[in-house]
Amino acid sequence: MQNQAPVVEIHELSKHYGEFVALDNLSLTLNRGSILGFIGPNGAGKTTTIRILVGLSRPTSGYARIGGSDCVRELAKVRRLVGYMPDKFGSYDNMRVREYLDFFGAAFGISRRERQKRVAEVLELTNATWMQDRYVESLSHGMQQRVGIARTLLHNPEVLILDEPANGLDPEARIEMRTILLRLAAEGRTLIVTSHILPELARICDRIAIVAGGKLRAVGTLQEVTRELSQRRTIEIQFLNSATIAAAAGRLRPMLEHDAEITVSETESIIRCRTAANDEKLTELLRHLISSGDLVSQFREVAGDLEEAFVSAAREAEAERTEKAAAKAPAAEVAR
Amino acid sequence: MNGCLIIIERELLALLRSGRTLAILLAVSIAFSFIVFLKWPSSGIVDLDGAKGREVFAWLTYAMLAAAILIVPVFPSTSLVTEVRRRTLELLLNSPLSRTSIYLGKALAMLGFVMLLLFATLPALTCCYLMGGLSFTDDVLKLYLFLTLVSLQLIVIGLLVGTYCRSTESALRWSYGVTFAMTIVPWFPDALFPGGTSPIAQGCQLLKLISPIPALMKMLNQSSVGGSGLMESRDPVLWYVGFATLFIVVGSVVCILRLSHSLLDRSRSQGFITDDQDQWVRASRRVLFLVDPQRRSAGIPPFVNPVMVKEFQCRQFGRMHWLLRLVAGCAVLSLLLTLASAQGTESRGVEYTGALIIVLQVALIVLLTPGLASGMIAGEMEGGSWNLLRVTPLTPGRILRGKLISVVLTLALLLCATLPGYAVIMLIKPTLQQQVVQVLICLILAAVLSMLVSATVSSFFRKTAVATTVSYGCLVAIFGGTMLIWMNREAPFGFGFVQQALRLNPMAAALNAMQAAGFESYDLIPSSWWITGITSIVLLVILYFQTLRLTRPD
Repeated sequence: MQNQAPVVEIHELSKHYGEFVALDNLSLTLNRGSILGFIGPNGAGKTTTIRILVGLSRPTSGYARIGGSDCVRELAKVRRLVGYMPDKFGSYDNMRVREYLDFFGAAFGISRRERQKRVAEVLELTNATWMQDRYVESLSHGMQQRVGIARTLLHNPEVLILDEPANGLDPEARIEMRTILLRLAAEGRTLIVTSHILPELARICDRIAIVAGGKLRAVGTLQEVTRELSQRRTIEIQFLNSATIAAAAGRLRPMLEHDAEITVSETESIIRCRTAANDEKLTELLRHLISSGDLVSQFREVAGDLEEAFVSAAREAEAERTEKAAAKAPAAEVAR
Repeated sequence: MNGCLIIIERELLALLRSGRTLAILLAVSIAFSFIVFLKWPSSGIVDLDGAKGREVFAWLTYAMLAAAILIVPVFPSTSLVTEVRRRTLELLLNSPLSRTSIYLGKALAMLGFVMLLLFATLPALTCCYLMGGLSFTDDVLKLYLFLTLVSLQLIVIGLLVGTYCRSTESALRWSYGVTFAMTIVPWFPDALFPGGTSPIAQGCQLLKLISPIPALMKMLNQSSVGGSGLMESRDPVLWYVGFATLFIVVGSVVCILRLSHSLLDRSRSQGFITDDQDQWVRASRRVLFLVDPQRRSAGIPPFVNPVMVKEFQCRQFGRMHWLLRLVAGCAVLSLLLTLASAQGTESRGVEYTGALIIVLQVALIVLLTPGLASGMIAGEMEGGSWNLLRVTPLTPGRILRGKLISVVLTLALLLCATLPGYAVIMLIKPTLQQQVVQVLICLILAAVLSMLVSATVSSFFRKTAVATTVSYGCLVAIFGGTMLIWMNREAPFGFGFVQQALRLNPMAAALNAMQAAGFESYDLIPSSWWITGITSIVLLVILYFQTLRLTRPD
C-alpha cells in the first residue's frame, strides 16, 4: 500500500522573483523506484524546482512534499530523505576522496564505524573505490561526478536528485553513469535526473517531465510525452513488395494534409509519412490502401523523438513569451 | 612590440572599466586630500624656511608608499591566476604573441594603473609644493621615480607569485606575505639586535636595506631615525635601487620562463598512501614525519565538530604535520624574541623590547588572519560547496562554530609561541607581571577582533579574493589608521580625540599597558577592552545572522 503512495508530490508550485515568474503552477507526482527525466531549455525552471525540493529555495505558492514531508516546514526530515547532487561539484582543496566522503557522512550524523562501512559501500556502488586516496580537486570531471553520486548516497536517501549528472562526460563515462543510475533505481530509490543529453534520458527514464517557461508542458512515459507534444507523428507502411509502392504513395497524398511529408524507400518497400493526422484519419487511410489492393504487411507508428518534443515545448514557451511581450507593449504605449 | 601593446590595451581597459579601480582612485584622492587638510597651516601664516612644506611632504611620501604596498599587489597577483582559471591563458599562449610580450604587456598595464594611482596624489602634492621648501627635481620628481620603482618591484612580486598559485585567494595571500616580508619584516631583526658589529647584527642591517623604507627615509633626510652602524656608512637609496633593479630583472626572467603551457598542465596527484607501501617505507616515514600526512586517516572522531576537522584538512597548512612545523617555527621565533628581550634590556629597557614584540605579534595576526578567516564563507560560496553544507542537517551555529574554532586554535598556537619572550621580560623586571597579563589580554582581543572582522566580511562576499582584500583593508584601518591619528597627536588632533581613537585599537592598548614610548600618557585600559569586546560581540551576532540568512531557503 505504502509503495503506491507518491514519494515526490509537487502541487501548484510557483516561484516569483519580483515580476519574473520562474515557476508557474507546476504539479507533478512520482512513485517509488521510478526515474524521472526532468528536461527543459536553459532557464525553464528545472533548477528552481530542484532547489525547492531540496530546501534551498522557498516557493512563492504551492507546496512540495518528499516522503510525505513538506519541503519548507519539515526541512530537517526532507534533508535526510533526499540526496542532492548539484550541477557544480563543490570540491574542497587538499582533501582526499575518502576524507571528503567521511566529512559529509559525519555532517549527516553517521557514527564513525558506520561511516567507514558506508563510505566503502558507496565507493563500491559507484565504481570509485580505486580513487579513494586521490585528492578531490585533482579528479577529472567524470570521476568527480561519480564521487558526487557517492556523496549523495552516504545517508542512504530514498530520493536522489541529480542535476546534470552526465554533463561533460565522455561516452564511456556516460555508459557507466547510466549503469549506476539504473542500479540505484533497481534498489528501489526514486531518481529525478535533469539533463540536456536527451537520448541518454530516453534510455534510462521511465517517466519524462518537460518544463519550459516555468510551466510543465508534458509529463508521462516517453511515448505519452512525445505524442502530447509532437505536432506530427511518423507512420511506417511496409509493403510486401515495391511493385505498387509509387502508386500507393500517390493515393496517400490527397488523403493527408498538404504539408505532410511522404518518403518512399523502394529498397525497403516502405512508405514513411510525417503527418498530423489523428487515429481516425489513420484508420481510414489504412482501409483505403487495403481496399485499393495494396499489399500492406505492416502499418506501425514509429516511437516519438524526445528531441522533437523538447523543441516543440521550447517553441510553445517562446510563443507564449512573445505573446505576453506583445500584450504588454501596447499597454506601455497607452500609459506613455 | 605590437603584441605587447595589444596586451596593455586589453589589461588596462579591463582595469579601468572596473568599478573597483574607480573606487580605489577616489579613495586615494580623498585620503591624500585629508592628509593635506590635516597638516595645512591653520593660522594663515606660513614660515619661509619651508619646514611645514617638508613636513607635509614627508607625510604624503609615507602615505604614498603605504598605499602602494597595500593596493598594488592586488592586481598583478590575481591577474595570472584568473587567466589560468578562466583558461584565457591557453588562448594567449596559443596565439602568435610571445611569452615576453604577454609578460611585458601585463606588467606595463599594471604600471599604467600605478601611474594613475600616483597621479591621483598629484593635487595633494601640488598643495604641499605650494607651501614651499621643496624642489621639483630633487624632491617631487625623485619621489615619483622612486615610487614607480617600488611599484614595479611589487608588480613583479605579484606576477611571479601568480605563476605559483592555483587560486586567487592564495595568490593574494602570498603576494601580501612576500610584499610585507620585503618591505616591513626586514626592519624587525635590526630593531631587535641593533647597532652591533657582530656578523648577525651586520647581516640584520644589510637585510634592512632591501626594504624601501630606509631609502625613503634617507631621501627625506631622516636617515638618523632608522639608521645605525652600517646604515650610516652606506647609501640606502643606492642599495635599494640596486636590489630592486636586480629583483625586477631576475623576477621578470623567472616569470617569463614560467609563463608557459606547464602552468596549465599541472600533474594530478596519484594519491600516494603510506599504508600501501612496504614496511620499511612506513617505518621510516613514521620516524621522519611523526604524523605522516600520507597515512589513511581513521575518519572524524565522535564528538568533534566535522566542520572544524574539514577546515583544518582543506587548509594548505592545516594538517597536523604542518601544525607541528608551525609550532616548531614559532618556538624558534620565541627563542629569538627571548634572546632579544634579554639583550635589549641592557641598552633600551624591557619596555622597548616588549613594544617591539607586541607590534610583531599584531603584524603576524593582521597578516595571517584574513588568510584564515576571509574565505570561511566566501570560499565555500565561490567553490559551490556552501549549497552542499546547506542540504546537510548541520545547523548554522554548528557550521559557524566549527569554522571559528579552526581559526581560533591556529591563532592561539601563534600567540602561545611568543609567550617565552614575555616570561623573560617578567623575570628581568618582575614588577611588569601585571602589565604583561594586560598585554596578553589585549593580544587575545586583537586576535579575536581580527578573526571576527575577517569572518564577518567573508559572509558578505561571494569571492574570496574580494573578501580577503576588504578584510586586509578593514584590519589596516583599525590597527594602522588609528596609529596614524596617534602620529598626529600634537596637531591637529587633541589628546582626547587621540585617546578615543586609540581605544579602538587593541594593539595601542597593549602598548599602553607596556608603557611604550608615546603611549604612557593615555588611559586605554580597560575601556579599550570593553570597546573591543563589545565590537567583537556585535560582529559575532552579525556573523551568526548572516550565516543563518545564508543557510535558509532563498
